[in-house]
Amino acid sequence: MHRSQQLALKYFAAAITLFGVMTLSGLLSAYYYVNPDFLFGLLHFNIAKTLHIDTMVIWLLMGFMGAIYWLLPDEFGRDLSGIRAAEILFYVFCAAVAVVAVVFVFVQYGSSNETALWLINQGRKYVEAPRWAAIGVVVVMLVFAYNVIGTAYISRKITGIAAVLMIDLVPLVLLYLIAFPAISNMSADLFWWWWLVHLWVEATWEVLIGCIMAMALMQLLGTSRRIVEGWLYIEVALVLGTGILGLGHHYFWIGTPNYWLTIGGFFSALEPLPLLGMVIHAVYDAGAHRMKTTNQPAFYWLMAEAFGNFLGAGVFGFMITLPQINLYAHGTQWTVSHGHFAFWGAYACGVLSVIYLVLQKTRGLAHVNGTLWKWSFAALNLGLIGMAGALLISGFAQAFVERAIGGSTHAAFVAGQENKWFIEGMIARLIFGFVFAIGYVVLVYDLLTLGRRARLVAVPAAAE
Amino acid sequence: MIRLSLLETALLLGAYVALAGCYGLVYAIARLQDSAILRRAAAIVYALHGITAITIVLWTPLEVVWKGLIVASSVAFFAIPPITWRHLQRTHESEVHQ
Repeated sequence: MHRSQQLALKYFAAAITLFGVMTLSGLLSAYYYVNPDFLFGLLHFNIAKTLHIDTMVIWLLMGFMGAIYWLLPDEFGRDLSGIRAAEILFYVFCAAVAVVAVVFVFVQYGSSNETALWLINQGRKYVEAPRWAAIGVVVVMLVFAYNVIGTAYISRKITGIAAVLMIDLVPLVLLYLIAFPAISNMSADLFWWWWLVHLWVEATWEVLIGCIMAMALMQLLGTSRRIVEGWLYIEVALVLGTGILGLGHHYFWIGTPNYWLTIGGFFSALEPLPLLGMVIHAVYDAGAHRMKTTNQPAFYWLMAEAFGNFLGAGVFGFMITLPQINLYAHGTQWTVSHGHFAFWGAYACGVLSVIYLVLQKTRGLAHVNGTLWKWSFAALNLGLIGMAGALLISGFAQAFVERAIGGSTHAAFVAGQENKWFIEGMIARLIFGFVFAIGYVVLVYDLLTLGRRARLVAVPAAAE
Repeated sequence: MIRLSLLETALLLGAYVALAGCYGLVYAIARLQDSAILRRAAAIVYALHGITAITIVLWTPLEVVWKGLIVASSVAFFAIPPITWRHLQRTHESEVHQ
């Protein structure tokens, strides 16, 4: 095993741990909606929500990095260059995440001064980490980019997947620089802040997971490089073509010119088209292999990625993306519903698929199957779909009562929050959140004990 | 926009894309199993998608430009599954020959 692959295992362990923190803080956030007085004066809703969203970003990012560190040595035929720096920075990264989490929970907020920005919270949604930690993220990403680009340079070998990955790393690093607040005008600041949030999620991350899935498909199903690279180019072109200018679908209520709403609505309305192509591709692959591989969980999580992406980003996204709907739905639980489903489908399922693929190799398993992974697969997906459905109902009530009828006044906001449909949707979300949490616990147990149980399954399979 | 039509339009838009996905799924399974019944089922699902599109065009308060986009997208949704399938078959077959 290469050193970068050993590092990959550490990244996966950290990612799954943070996945747990995300789930726990998500449950906490959900409970605040049912019991707003919970932990009053001790730990407010905004802290739980910050932890929930920031750990979601970080666990997925660590999952992507783990996948790249694992898969890329096979791509280049050698270990990654600068791996020593990456190994050191892994521990720095984990320590920084832990310190930031402790500060969020125990310090929570500071005065409106530079010290608070540097040490406590930058005050920017989704990238709240204090400035010192944000600088640390930039350093980690720069070293990560060097690991990839430096290896390609030294090995004098660039495959199609590696080329796409290297090009993608440039905006991935540059866009994160927007996390540092520099503009005092709130409209201008939000305009650029959306570049970071949207273009990471709907452009650079899409390309990153596309590269990871391309390399994983070659290992999981033995698909040829020519085929996966051909599809990677097509899908990346379509996703970027529709995703980049889809940026405008966020530009509501922040003072941007009206034409952005039309541009954003138009391009994001095209986003389901390439996702349908991915569904067809998934069915083709499933049929070609008759739903049988040596690694059933990896295969099913891969399928879940294609279908989850279509449903979460495609169906749930299309409901709210046209400006006449978005005007009312923007910033309600309706968009939260779409966000949960889309992130799960587009990214989380893909990362879990790669983790199962990696565990098969590290534990020397001929076949990976069993029943436990099926329980975690079912509970996680049922929990997630249930949460997305419940949030959708709450969002409907909110958009209808608070926005369409009430006209977004403060009284209308309160009426929306007190609406029966909204409240029941929130209770249902909490219940499905527990189902999801159970799925997570089973997943962790399955990942930790996979080798032993899988060997028992593998023996008769090998004897056939 | 009339208040209730906000929810009606959104649900129709969701159903519109969901049915397009169902059509693609059933079409792909029909090709995989070479089943005439499933091909007819795919046609029925696409017809439902078409009815949803017509309902959006005739019944919702969306502006004309968005209704045009709905119609154009329906044509694209119809074409994507067969084109994708043919491309997949071609690339895999040429791979086998090589």
